[in-house]
Amino acid sequence: MDNMDRRFIPAGVSRCSTRNFLLWLAPWAALLAFGLYAAALCLIKGLNQTHMNNRFAFGLWIFLDLTVIALGAGAFFTGFLLYILKLKELRAVINSAVVIGLMCYGGAMAVLAVDVGQPLRSWFTFWYPNVHSMLAEVTFCISCYLTVLLIEYVPIVLKNRKLREIPSFLVFEHELHKLVYVFAGVGTFLSFFHQGSLGGLYGVLRGRPFAFREELGIWPSTFFLFILSAAAVGPCFVLLTTWLVQTITGKRLVKPQVLQSLGRISGLLLAAYVFLKTVDTFVWLNRTTPRSGFLPAQYYAWKPFGIWILFAEMALFLAPMVILLLPKLRARTGWLVSAAVMACCGVAVNRFVLTIQTLALPTLSFDRFLHYVPSWQETGSFLAVVAAGVLVYSISFRYFVLFPEERELRTGPPAAPQTEPALAGR
Amino acid sequence: MISEKKPGKISRYGMSVDIDKCTGCGACMIACAVENNVPPAQEGATDLTGLTWMRVFKVDNGQEYPAKQSVYFPMMCQHCGLETPCYLVCPQQAVDVDPATGIVGQIPGRCLGCRYCMAACPYHARYFNWWDPKWPAGMEKTLNPNVAPRMRGVVEKCNFCHGRWHAAVQRAAEAGLKEIQPGDYVPACVEACPAGAIQFGDLNDPSSAPSKAAKDPQSFRLLVKLGTEPKVYYHSRREWARRIGDPSQAPDGKETSHG
Amino acid sequence: MLPWNYGFHWTLGTMIFMGAFYTVLAIVAATLISAAWRSRRHLRSGTAEEVRWHSDFHDLPARDRPCRHQLTGELEYRDCQNSFDCRQCDTHRTLLEQRPPSKPDGKSYEDFGMTFPLDRMYHRGHTWVRRERNGTVTIGLDDFGRRLFGKPDSVELPRKGQRIRLNGAAWRIRKGNLDQPVLSPLNGIVLETGGPDSEWYLKVRPAHPDLRHLLEGSEVQFWVAGEMERLQGALSAAGTAPNMVNGPTDVAAIAAACPTACWEAVCGTMFLRP
Repeated sequence: MDNMDRRFIPAGVSRCSTRNFLLWLAPWAALLAFGLYAAALCLIKGLNQTHMNNRFAFGLWIFLDLTVIALGAGAFFTGFLLYILKLKELRAVINSAVVIGLMCYGGAMAVLAVDVGQPLRSWFTFWYPNVHSMLAEVTFCISCYLTVLLIEYVPIVLKNRKLREIPSFLVFEHELHKLVYVFAGVGTFLSFFHQGSLGGLYGVLRGRPFAFREELGIWPSTFFLFILSAAAVGPCFVLLTTWLVQTITGKRLVKPQVLQSLGRISGLLLAAYVFLKTVDTFVWLNRTTPRSGFLPAQYYAWKPFGIWILFAEMALFLAPMVILLLPKLRARTGWLVSAAVMACCGVAVNRFVLTIQTLALPTLSFDRFLHYVPSWQETGSFLAVVAAGVLVYSISFRYFVLFPEERELRTGPPAAPQTEPALAGR
Repeated sequence: MISEKKPGKISRYGMSVDIDKCTGCGACMIACAVENNVPPAQEGATDLTGLTWMRVFKVDNGQEYPAKQSVYFPMMCQHCGLETPCYLVCPQQAVDVDPATGIVGQIPGRCLGCRYCMAACPYHARYFNWWDPKWPAGMEKTLNPNVAPRMRGVVEKCNFCHGRWHAAVQRAAEAGLKEIQPGDYVPACVEACPAGAIQFGDLNDPSSAPSKAAKDPQSFRLLVKLGTEPKVYYHSRREWARRIGDPSQAPDGKETSHG
Repeated sequence: MLPWNYGFHWTLGTMIFMGAFYTVLAIVAATLISAAWRSRRHLRSGTAEEVRWHSDFHDLPARDRPCRHQLTGELEYRDCQNSFDCRQCDTHRTLLEQRPPSKPDGKSYEDFGMTFPLDRMYHRGHTWVRRERNGTVTIGLDDFGRRLFGKPDSVELPRKGQRIRLNGAAWRIRKGNLDQPVLSPLNGIVLETGGPDSEWYLKVRPAHPDLRHLLEGSEVQFWVAGEMERLQGALSAAGTAPNMVNGPTDVAAIAAACPTACWEAVCGTMFLRP
């Protein structure tokens, strides 16, 4: 079986034995099974299996959905930088970014299917859309984008060493790849809107002054801030996963300049984001909030969400911004990866604050502050997404070319040329 | 989604609630549940996962004995008249604002259960069916045949007993009248209140109780600055109680217990 | 969603929203259909092999794609931009005009224990092409390829009258588990077949007399040196890295010393068909 397996592994690279690979997959498969069981309980018995309630209408799932979609933004943004802005060095990570994006968005959609009370009615949003609703925009864009990601994944699969021996697969992959810039463009357009609408989801809630923001055009400021933070953190996540895969497999997969390039792009966008977010925070606290009849102090009067959370969020964006903008620090892997981790955590805190904290805070004067801890079914369902992601990524890494530079990096630098005098330039 | 047919007379139904008169007996809550086929709480339900379209809160003035005072505060859907949050955010157009009455209705058959409206509502007036509805044996005899029960996984809320309005319109048509009589359409909670604390009427009709309450300086509404134009007017002679509608009150001032 | 659905209103918001949605759907569908239709055209016109070569070439690491003029030292650094098809290349034409190829000195080039007769032209996939007087060509496997592969257990040769395409698989040589296609140096029709036991493999009537894309004369020695470097690179990538600077340069010995899995990978790299 090992021999059969070898035929599917790309040329010019080495992978571990089939037995070791199955050993690696086994615990993730077990986690997936457990998570699917948890999700099945929620689907069969109802959402009373979760610890969400009428006041905490959104819980762990929505928070994690928003976070993984922000992290998966690396797929569209890397595609945009490579195919539209022609930053050729990113060719080294685009395939990996597409797989990550696919798992992030696919996972988010799967969790959403469990999160809604009536999943079989999901098509209602398409049939009777409310074009003014941010959630309708999110639904449309994410569905289209998931389709685009699947289409972008197909060439990666078809290029498999054995599969491409089938002539129809070979030519179809070739033709799809020639048009990849179309998909990159469509993906960028869709991502712009859905990343923004995810921010708009909370920015339009005039009933939740903690989340509500004033409009720029027809969209609240969170629309633009979410796009920017997703674009800033997407490359960080690609960087992080690449480093993680390199560390786990012990292989060199990309030239170090690629990771630093991703870091630099992230740093620049983080700078823009930090500036705009600071302005937005000032406007929100000093103008928008009093106009709604609330006081800014009320937002942070409840334990455990004191004012520290606002500063933590800013710090988790500020610190990586500084690190990633300094070439000396960027060149050191330790600093680079730490900055990437911080940026990803920053985006998680940002999404957390807008989902969980928004719902925890009271709006009526006689309301209490509420606590919410996810149930094991909720946690399990989400772990299923993580496990599925690792499984699909591992299988893709083994059988498809996720890192085109790996082959080159294996041969190492050319040996000192045998000094043939005739070779000297004429 | 606005109803397709053109309305005849335009009403704006609202409520006035005198919280000085409310005794906290909870008859309104029971009447509402009976009228609207709200299922009883399932095993494992808490006060945050139950269905209480009408819900009475007890609110204190935050002082200690002997200055301590309380009011009972009935809360239901405020039927926001402007920038209705739930209506604007529903992705499937499952919230229906009736232009003839101003009543914000819910279409349970179209609701996906995404709960976005619940996040949007500042009055926490929307409730989700976390369980399949189940009535104990024998209790099905109490079901109201005029109201459809809802399934698991959809959102529901107070709709000012909109079915009763339809019935009143029917009766008026049968009697050959063009409009319904003011007293002919009364929601269940209004009908059940023994103290007469809740009054119902057309805000477009200057002689109705809510219209008068709207002009009364001792009336207030909740969260007015949000701009939602709620149609429920609360009334109290006590100044501290009138500040309940202002959310910038110190958060640790008021205790809550749920009736 | 559609105009006749209950609740659809012809407002500006609806038209922009649904318009954008349908446009996106249309673009995605059109792109997919276009790709599928072009693929069908490739399959019907038999250009799948050409596509395969372009795809393989695209995947070669840069070090495996140097322009022939970089090998000879005429250019500092240049990756081939034409999938080794120098007939299409403007740079090649310009350089040929500036410096027409000189007559080779000697009948053959010998180094590293191998012989490369100079009465023939060489393809970078290690086949040689010799023009015959009657307008046909003879094609064989060069010394490097023969020594690297060793004696094949079996071969699969094309039939008489079969068309072979440039950079497609001309014939296949087999040894053990490895089934190695050998790239065709030109387009043409097979007239006769030989084999590993004879000096040549195929006699072909070329479709076109233009064979500018093949290496000849003084270029050969640079190419061979480059191939030895590439061999070393392929060996170290495969996990065995004999020191070829001072050590043995006998390709046959290297191939024999190589573990099978490595040797299979090395053959794929050197024959440009993994």
